Amino acid sequence: MTTTTIERPEPGASAPLISVRNLTVSYNVARTGKTLTAIEGVDLDVREGEFVTVLGPSGCGKTTFMNVIAGLVKPTSGEVLVDGRPVTGPGPDRAVVFQDYALLPWRTVFDNVKFGLEMQSRLKGDGWRDRVQEAVELVGLKGFESSYPRELSGGMQQRVGLARAIVAEPRILLMDEPLGAVDALTREVMRDEIEKLIAATGKTVLFITHSIEEAILLGDRIVVFKSHPGAIKEVIETGLERPRSERSVQSEPRFLELRDHLWEALQHEATAAARVAGS
Amino acid sequence: MTTISIEAVNAPPLRRHRRLPDKWAWLLMAVVAGILLVWEAAVSWLHLVPESFLPPPTAVAAAFVELLGRPDFWQAFVFSLQNLAIGLVLAVIVGVIVGLAVGWSPVLRFTVAPFLWLLYSTPKVALAPLFILVLGLGNESKIALVFLLAVFPIILNTMEGAVTVNASLVNAARVYNVNGVALGWKVIFPATLPYSLAGIQRGVALGFTGEVLGEFLGGAGGLGHLLEFAAYQFEMAEAIAMVFVMVIVANLLLALISALRKRLAPWYDDRQVMYGA
Repeated sequence: MTTTTIERPEPGASAPLISVRNLTVSYNVARTGKTLTAIEGVDLDVREGEFVTVLGPSGCGKTTFMNVIAGLVKPTSGEVLVDGRPVTGPGPDRAVVFQDYALLPWRTVFDNVKFGLEMQSRLKGDGWRDRVQEAVELVGLKGFESSYPRELSGGMQQRVGLARAIVAEPRILLMDEPLGAVDALTREVMRDEIEKLIAATGKTVLFITHSIEEAILLGDRIVVFKSHPGAIKEVIETGLERPRSERSVQSEPRFLELRDHLWEALQHEATAAARVAGS
Repeated sequence: MTTISIEAVNAPPLRRHRRLPDKWAWLLMAVVAGILLVWEAAVSWLHLVPESFLPPPTAVAAAFVELLGRPDFWQAFVFSLQNLAIGLVLAVIVGVIVGLAVGWSPVLRFTVAPFLWLLYSTPKVALAPLFILVLGLGNESKIALVFLLAVFPIILNTMEGAVTVNASLVNAARVYNVNGVALGWKVIFPATLPYSLAGIQRGVALGFTGEVLGEFLGGAGGLGHLLEFAAYQFEMAEAIAMVFVMVIVANLLLALISALRKRLAPWYDDRQVMYGA
């Protein structure tokens, strides 16, 4: 088992695109007056073009971690650098795909995708229509441009969420359990599609999941979180060839080895979490 | 952007627009016809109630038709609806803006909202004589009453809607650095619209009550004034016909808002609440 711990940029190597330094986030819980530490002392470097999956049990702070990178949550201490500059808020270099899709129900598919450009005041000129159309087609929703989200299945709604994120051509895609609310069959199909899409666009991806298979199938590296407080338990290089059509990869010894290892690590975490929750 | 394309796998679930089945419509009509028949029988044929207290439906229908031909009726009609419209427009503007502001700002919610609930639960009808005393017998006191009765359900419903806007919709906008007025206009307002319209619907019904009440208590015109006049002269057929006019007007207004709600907020379906979707 090759277990890489935190990678420091070697002298001469290109700087990481995302750099998380000793990140701690804690909240004040109004009801009890106590301070709750969501994540503590997280260090992580993500290279340009890398697909990093973040795996952990529920409540381990992985969403908080992503929200800090997205600029939605301010760190209590430590910092996040994107392309060498500290993150002080959201920015056009990062886009988020949400677990519950977060589509605007009063907008059509086309207008929801357009939202990604509109909110950055990038609707000047004529080019934007083509870009929106391109993004819609890229996720396979050609012909559904004037449908409303309520008329689409969960999988299709998440395609809209994906198109909205990529239309603005961010460098970094932050995906918060994007397939968590999608049915099992669609999830398998969309996993492959996301891998293809990312391979084709060369984006840097941080993909949060609590599915072990998903973490292995999609990630170049897997960041395993532990809970109470949320922190990185280990970082693993998957070392699997791309493209990974599911059938071939799932029978590879390396896949099985990773799965067993992660299962063991998570099982320990899950039981620990259950004990805390029960106490 | 590249040329890789992904096939769409799932066809969209078709949602059929459910209408009232014909047999229910027939049943409803049969019930109405039955009530009218019993009424007619009780008054005209069996003489259980004196006609001067409760005229039969045929007399009411005749009074209704007669009413529609009278210019003073239409004058009163315009007077009432004009006041109602002005009061409601003011109530909608103020109600939606105040509701959004109070719902969206935690500070306002904690400082202003309790007073809004207090005022909402105050029987404002009791203030009607005061309004007439201060604003006179003309339009102003009626408009004020319509506004006062209609504005609170609009404020409180809009507030409720603004509070319950899906947090991830707000986050979806925030990741593009959208805040303040732009966030309110692009996300909060449309997301709250179905709630506001539900509040407006209640506001219209209450506002109409306010208008008629104002005319009743001290009127120089309007449907309420006309009704009161007919009742004093013991023209019961005409008085009941007036009541029917009011019922029809109120229901037309409610149907209008319902249609508006379907048109402006087709994504909002109260049945979804039941399914938890």
